[in-house]
Amino acid sequence: MSVSTASAPPSRLLWAIIKASPFALKLLAGLVLFGLWEVCTWAFAAPFVTRPSGVIAKLPAAVMSTELWAASWSTLSAVLLGLAVSLVAGLLIGVAMGRQPWVNRMAEIWVNSFYAMPMVAVLPVLTMWFGYSSGARFAIIVFAALFSIILNVADGVRNVPREYLEVARSFRAGPRDIWFGISLFASLPYLIAGIRLAIGRGLVGAVLAEIYASVSGIGFYILSNARALEQDVAMCAVLILAAFGIGLDAIMGWMLRRWFPWYRREGRE
Amino acid sequence: MNWLAGYRTGQVLFSLFAGLLLWEIAGWQFNTAFFAPVLGSDVGFSNSIAHALANAFGYRITEDHPGTIPKLISSLDLPAILERYADTRSGGAGIVASILAAFTASDLLMAMGSSLKLFLTGLSFALLAGLGLGMAMARMPWLRIALEDYILGLYATPMAALIPFILAIFGFEFWPKVLVVFLFALFPVLYNTLEGARSLKPEYLEVARSFRTREWRLWKDVIIPYTLPFAMTGLRQGVARALVGMIAGEILLNPTGLGDLLIGSERAFDMAGVLATILVVTLLGTVLMFLVRAIETRYIKWGASLR
Repeated sequence: MSVSTASAPPSRLLWAIIKASPFALKLLAGLVLFGLWEVCTWAFAAPFVTRPSGVIAKLPAAVMSTELWAASWSTLSAVLLGLAVSLVAGLLIGVAMGRQPWVNRMAEIWVNSFYAMPMVAVLPVLTMWFGYSSGARFAIIVFAALFSIILNVADGVRNVPREYLEVARSFRAGPRDIWFGISLFASLPYLIAGIRLAIGRGLVGAVLAEIYASVSGIGFYILSNARALEQDVAMCAVLILAAFGIGLDAIMGWMLRRWFPWYRREGRE
Repeated sequence: MNWLAGYRTGQVLFSLFAGLLLWEIAGWQFNTAFFAPVLGSDVGFSNSIAHALANAFGYRITEDHPGTIPKLISSLDLPAILERYADTRSGGAGIVASILAAFTASDLLMAMGSSLKLFLTGLSFALLAGLGLGMAMARMPWLRIALEDYILGLYATPMAALIPFILAIFGFEFWPKVLVVFLFALFPVLYNTLEGARSLKPEYLEVARSFRTREWRLWKDVIIPYTLPFAMTGLRQGVARALVGMIAGEILLNPTGLGDLLIGSERAFDMAGVLATILVVTLLGTVLMFLVRAIETRYIKWGASLR
């Protein structure tokens, strides 16, 4: 771990810790943060407000309960299914937009404006169409995920190196090979960046839909427990949700590093 | 589509027209609580257009459908704005004062103003906190090492899950909503400034030090210019998320501003009103993103010249 010698030394002790292991410093920072949270809630907040000691006390029972896992699975499976649907649709539309300039000119204005639309704003429409049900949640996940995938795939297909296409044509590749054999594969890093964005947006959409439309799932679990003044239990669910977010993001980051180590670009947001 | 191939702007306009036509046709097919057309036929000009078209093509309009654009115009309430402006002008107020007073005559503009106030307050706090902490991490690598994993974790956590806590602990006035916007916008800004802090070469600080740079010059000439382009990328993401936070706060805490218009129209089964509000929110988002993109391009050029 290289640490700048130019910066102002905080203290000799701290430097000794950093030199020994950055992990110890991170742990120390965590202890300080959680300690501050604990002290502040003891000092200023009402007794029902969530605090680290309370979360630790409630965590085993909450994690053991089937209720929390049923809620988590309900949300996670909806997000994954929504992602799968928007992946198929997004790939088709995105490759078409990237390959055919006229499709791009036709679709771009609509895709961009749906993408710029804050997804919560469509929640009332979706609940009117699909009812206060898991259908509305599924629709908002697809709405949240689809457009970031389309835009990233189209970017990727547009940026396929021209040499690839020239070589393919000189070997008499047909349009099917050019579309799905070359363009799609060359744009995979962009696709992964798009999926990464879509996961984050889809999770937020799912949670908002559950809170708004009272659909059973992890968002509603958090809402009902927070309402019942069981904030520590609700915070356990937030931790699980954070683990989903971090875990899925880490898998995507790993895939990017494993298969596309040359690739450095951040996705659109 | 070959006949359109040569006309690029023509294609975009055609697509816009085709989409709106599809929307109009779809709007007439459904119940008014399920979907609304663009123009529809409930007020003034849209009513006469719809009936003229129906007569020309030999259709009979059995049920009037309120349209999205007429709804938008009626909630903008231009006559009331003009009247209020004329009143305050004749009352002896200055031009700026009467323009401001005139805005309060329109429901839509009032709602927009209230939403924008919430958005800007939350976003500025997020920007201040994100830039401050991010740049402090550029100056003090030990702070960066200590906090970066927690910031990454919070960046990936859906902040929407914290809304029930905010509701239970802080209630549903203006400041809890600002907190929602702040939390939605903070982590993109902080995360990107952190990326800048991480890529700031220690040599820059060392060279500055060896020329006996004073502390404030070090900030002014090295740290701020280096991390600002990264922070601007964060600002773009932050604006997009803050918009989501703004509407989420206004829908899920107590309804105010554009969120109130949205919820109110939904409860009244007024789909035209819902769509009109979504249109306004989308326009607001597009304009804000355009502004932020312009700022970002400026700083990206600056950042590229530094490297």
